[in-house]
Amino acid sequence: MRKRDSLFRSVILIMLTGLMPLIGWSQDSDLKPVTSKYVIKNATIVQAPGKTIQYGTILIENGIIKAVGSNITIPADAWIVDADSMFVYAGFISGLSNIGVKKPEESEERDDRKLTGNPSNERAGITPGNSAREMLNLSDKSVGDFRKLGFTASHSVPHNGMLPGTGAVILLGGDSNQDMVVKDQISMYSQLSGANGVYPNTVIGVMAKYRDLYRKASQAKDYQSKYNSNPNGMERPEPNLALEALYPVVSKQMTVAFKAESVKDVMRVIALQRDLGFNMMLGEVKQGWDAIPAIKATGAPVFLSLDLPEWKEEEKAEKKDDESDEKESDPTEAELEEQALKERQNTMIKNYYTQAGKFSSNGVKFGFSTMEVKSKDFRANLLKVIENGLSPDKALAALTTEPANILGLSSMMGTIETGKMANLIVSDTAYFTKDASIRYVFVDGVKYEYEGKKKKKKKNGDGEGVDAAGVWNYTTETPQGNGSGVITIKGTPGDYSGTISVSFNDSTNEIENVEVDGNNVSFSFKLNMGEEITVDISMDIDGDAFEGTLSVAAFGSFPMEGSREPNN
Amino acid sequence: MKKIHLIFALLLTITFVMAQEKGSVLIKSGTVLTVTNGTLEDTDVLIRDGKISKIGKGLSAPSGAKTIDATGMFVMPGIIDAHSHLALDAVNEATNPVTAEVWVGDALDPLDVGIYQALAGGVTSAHAMHGSANAIGGQCETVKFRYGEIDPEKMRMAGAPRTIKFALGENPTRVHGSGNGIQPRTRMGVEHVIRSSFQKAKEYMKAWDTYNAKKNDKRFKGKAPAYDLRLETLADILRGNIIIHCHSYRADEIYMLMQVCKDFGIERLVFQHVNEGFKVAPELAKFGAGASVFADWWAYKFEVYYSTAYNAAILTKNGVTTSINSDSGELIRHLYHEAAKSQKYGGLSDDEALSLITINPAKQLGIADRVGSLEEGKEGDVAIFKNHPLSIYAIPMLTVVDGVVRFDRENDPADMRLYPDPEEKIDVTFWEAEDHDRCMANTEFLFTDK
Repeated sequence: MRKRDSLFRSVILIMLTGLMPLIGWSQDSDLKPVTSKYVIKNATIVQAPGKTIQYGTILIENGIIKAVGSNITIPADAWIVDADSMFVYAGFISGLSNIGVKKPEESEERDDRKLTGNPSNERAGITPGNSAREMLNLSDKSVGDFRKLGFTASHSVPHNGMLPGTGAVILLGGDSNQDMVVKDQISMYSQLSGANGVYPNTVIGVMAKYRDLYRKASQAKDYQSKYNSNPNGMERPEPNLALEALYPVVSKQMTVAFKAESVKDVMRVIALQRDLGFNMMLGEVKQGWDAIPAIKATGAPVFLSLDLPEWKEEEKAEKKDDESDEKESDPTEAELEEQALKERQNTMIKNYYTQAGKFSSNGVKFGFSTMEVKSKDFRANLLKVIENGLSPDKALAALTTEPANILGLSSMMGTIETGKMANLIVSDTAYFTKDASIRYVFVDGVKYEYEGKKKKKKKNGDGEGVDAAGVWNYTTETPQGNGSGVITIKGTPGDYSGTISVSFNDSTNEIENVEVDGNNVSFSFKLNMGEEITVDISMDIDGDAFEGTLSVAAFGSFPMEGSREPNN
Repeated sequence: MKKIHLIFALLLTITFVMAQEKGSVLIKSGTVLTVTNGTLEDTDVLIRDGKISKIGKGLSAPSGAKTIDATGMFVMPGIIDAHSHLALDAVNEATNPVTAEVWVGDALDPLDVGIYQALAGGVTSAHAMHGSANAIGGQCETVKFRYGEIDPEKMRMAGAPRTIKFALGENPTRVHGSGNGIQPRTRMGVEHVIRSSFQKAKEYMKAWDTYNAKKNDKRFKGKAPAYDLRLETLADILRGNIIIHCHSYRADEIYMLMQVCKDFGIERLVFQHVNEGFKVAPELAKFGAGASVFADWWAYKFEVYYSTAYNAAILTKNGVTTSINSDSGELIRHLYHEAAKSQKYGGLSDDEALSLITINPAKQLGIADRVGSLEEGKEGDVAIFKNHPLSIYAIPMLTVVDGVVRFDRENDPADMRLYPDPEEKIDVTFWEAEDHDRCMANTEFLFTDK
């Protein structure tokens, strides 16, 4: 016994000594700011959509907006942000996202095939008792990425499954994971996604299971409340975590936040809601333009996605026509067909960009969700949406006052008013113009400073490019299934070589024709899949992560992404 | 370029016209194949607000109604396909041998361009079915091909009876028996799965009856039976509220299911495929079960070798309500040929052959009082052909659903997709075609990585 005790003690000791330097380091970097008073001086303050103060000043103290106006006494101990010619907005609120929420690790366990029809709730994606709050991670990349774009709060929900858990409103900043939470248990997050390989596997399974669970919960809740009022002579209610977690939904105290990207999913969710009657908000809607009347009829607020298909400029196509008119006589049938298909595709793409404008003009309450938009595309997409019919004021509302209102946060955030939380964006010029860049973001009164993009990024000329050397783990999605492997790149820019391993046939192949252009690295390799095929890889490297494509002539190109293994 | 713009203008008009669900149209001077009331030469059919209001001579169109000159053409009821997997985003919930609670009506895909292709074959209604992976599969949905509507709700044939898919033989035993090592592994196992499911449903109903009888007594403190959507659905079958449509091939198992249904008092039963139906035709007739068959498609797996092109005719002559179905996005485009094949082989009359794709499938789906023949008061679903629909020269010209023209051969734009993929790579070369047979869709994962 004693021996074990001492062993235990020494293990603890080793752990502690191991941790010491880490703790010290993290304290170093987290020095308390010298003051909690800030003054943003001489700025154009957009207090709320359509309400602007010129040459205004904002006083922040201990995370609260103490004063806003043009005649404010500046305390001596305040840190002054000289915001001449700058614009200040209320911090953005993401209506629905996974910002700051850890992804659950995928289990490597093989399923018992005998149980595919009756898996555990966990395996089936039914975890309504989970909460985003328990999964927060302040150092998750998404927190910094979206804060940099002006987001200061987010309605964040857990990942995966048909009922992943409850959402919480969090701040994109704070001292600890728990410090991020502003309002917990704000929604029951739901999606129409099936569990891989087990019940419910398909959308029909998910819809049926949702009905079954909801009605079971409703029945169990009634019985429980009878039992609570007088248990005498009654059979004890059967404890059931999943059903109990749904009680607030059944009693309509908690709103269901349903992800519905496609028009079909929107209609399905509406049908389900009509069946069951829960309170609902729709999130990450990408294709809702034809569903506006149906959405309106439900009265549910909506969070529109900003993950939009790539905008294709039309001028190019027209130019081509002029040329061919001059040069040749008549276009071939195939050219005409291709042209027609392209025009249809462009019309379709345009729908995605005009959607927000249509929701606005139809009077549907909406904000924006940021589940799938890549942070690097957010601003460009937003500006394009404004170009396509959403007024900048409405856009600002959809990022501030509307989500605040929908999520019940209006008394706390969404506008720049005395007493509200100091969540602010300082932009070097009007935010909804092309050249604007964010200089400061305040989250709960804490200042984050950013460099403007004044100094143009050095254009990468010949020979100069991103450092691609290292070991990169990648995954890719192809019609043949998901693939993965390792890309090893050695050498220096201009002289790279290496290998790529491919899970499809367990091979490792030499890479060839490595080219670097700015942050893009491309190469090809030969893969033997019965016959030899050439595969082209293009990687857009951003730090230690990349997104790119894997292309095989004739089969098309497929998305891939990955990250660089840390250098030890 | 002009040509393209013209196409777009046409497309826009079509989309606009399609925005209404019910229309009025006068079809003039056609040869009207009523199916239930003989053939009427040089006759008009007037559809008003989606319903056939008059069949006769010299009718005039109400104001605003479109007139179609059908002189020299054949006007028949819209074709009905009693077995299809078109326009569905999910076909099989293949994870359990019994999934009565799932419903393909939840996965309708009104954007499927296959609907338009089916309209181009004169089809106006179809039975969108769950697949055959499970002994007791999911509930199906009877749809109308109102192509152009985005709301799946508008695809449903509202008021049509509920139906459910059952499956016997190789498919469920392969998926669950060989695939997952559970019951059913054999045909006996399939019977047992069905019997025990019905038995559980019976007990569930009884438990609820007992509870409901007592619950109003103030002193009663008992617990209600736990709600279960699967058992609720099975109970609805026992109550006669859902028609069983059972995937089946062999005579012995067809006979088996009739015995099971008799034991549980189930009367509404239609067999699908039924390749050996001809062996038990009198028994099927006596039970009152329907049979929905292929004209001449077989030998795609072991249990489908004993087949004959006389199947539909033998069943018909034995008094079985028989239909010919497609089970395929390709076959659905020429069901009139399939009916003609059965006629050619088995010597059926024109009306008998046309019944196979109109009034008989309507009876099997419980919608014969609304569609399936050209009669005053029925819904305005019409297919107009150049040449007799049972002729090898038949060409579908116009297809009308609820009085709205949904397909017009004279005005048939090249691109009828409703929601083109914004990210698809545009390539006018055709690389590969999708497999048409979707009976076992969504089960692929069970057969890989093993």
